Amino acid sequence: MFSGLSNMQPRQLAAQILNFALVLSTAFMLWKGLSVVADSSSPIVVVLSGSMEPAFQRGDLLFLWNRGQETQVGEVVVYNVRGKDIPIVHRVIRRFGGGSEPLHLLTKGDNNAADDTELYARGQNYLNREKDVVGSVIGYVPAVGYVTILLSEHPWLKTVMLGFMALTVVLQRE
Amino acid sequence: MSGGDGKVSPYSLGDLKNTTDDALGNYLRGLSFTQDNSKLDIRLAMGYVMVVIAGAIFVADYKLGWEATKTWTAVGVAAYTLLNGAFTFWMWGVEKGLVFEGTKNGHKISIKSKSKKYDPTYYISVTNGSSTREIQAPFTRWFTADGYFEAKPFQRWLAGAVKEIGEADPKNAKAGDVENLIAANNKTAPVKVSGSDAAGTPSKRSSRKV
Repeated sequence: MFSGLSNMQPRQLAAQILNFALVLSTAFMLWKGLSVVADSSSPIVVVLSGSMEPAFQRGDLLFLWNRGQETQVGEVVVYNVRGKDIPIVHRVIRRFGGGSEPLHLLTKGDNNAADDTELYARGQNYLNREKDVVGSVIGYVPAVGYVTILLSEHPWLKTVMLGFMALTVVLQRE
Repeated sequence: MSGGDGKVSPYSLGDLKNTTDDALGNYLRGLSFTQDNSKLDIRLAMGYVMVVIAGAIFVADYKLGWEATKTWTAVGVAAYTLLNGAFTFWMWGVEKGLVFEGTKNGHKISIKSKSKKYDPTYYISVTNGSSTREIQAPFTRWFTADGYFEAKPFQRWLAGAVKEIGEADPKNAKAGDVENLIAANNKTAPVKVSGSDAAGTPSKRSSRKV
């Protein structure tokens, strides 16, 4: 694949590099476009825990929507705990405020015994809809996100995958 | 994949076409046609602006986070979408497989090439200012059976078939004229060649020592 690069015209080389770069940048911009449309920093997330079973299993792919801030009780939202960067998918069980006042939410996992006050940051008893919530779940695809869970829980799989990819590049030469 | 020694798989149409496209440019540059790269340059400019936009958004997002950057991200996404449309239009609507554009002695020539799926034929369309001509030839005329590119037969074909190139390379043009005539005759009335299979010219060429 790379043996041909050395005897290329500079413009051809530039065009070849551009093709590769456009694959990456277009994938990234599709993601950002989705973010802009859904008004969410992370419009697609993977369910990491079983706390919402049987509604969502580990590995389900969720699509989020963050327009319309009047979240109701019963909606499933994804939020980030302050100070930690782990998104959590739980259901809204109480709401306070709303309208002209800032909307505050209390959440609970369907499969958990207690509500989420234990999970929130120290001193925090509820979520701020505007600041903490990434979006409401509007759709999901079962199981397809499981690959990312496997990769993050077993880092050696990444090494195996990279090695395999490198090997195919080397073997494809002829 | 083309190896370092210039050999390609004679069954891979993409490799045959790419190798031929490269050879076409080299040949015409060698005949001191002055190449005009403006169409490719415009594509490169659009493409790299797109990459810069995406890179800038990536860095801004990484450093400042989503909330601080979302307005500019929306602007960037809109710009990227527009440029992507323009880029695609430029490639498929304007360049359309352009391989070479250049001038010699005030004569402008522009050559586009294409190949069709499962059809081992090289199609080119040659535009000289006003008129456009379509010509074609099987890849077997300038590739050996084991996938080596032969410059001479390719140059004879081009010089014989395209007037502007023939004027720049009269020697190849003369030989090419004869060969092209034979090829045209073979196509209209397939003649059995004694002691050879029906493929005629290609099989003779493929047995040539390289």
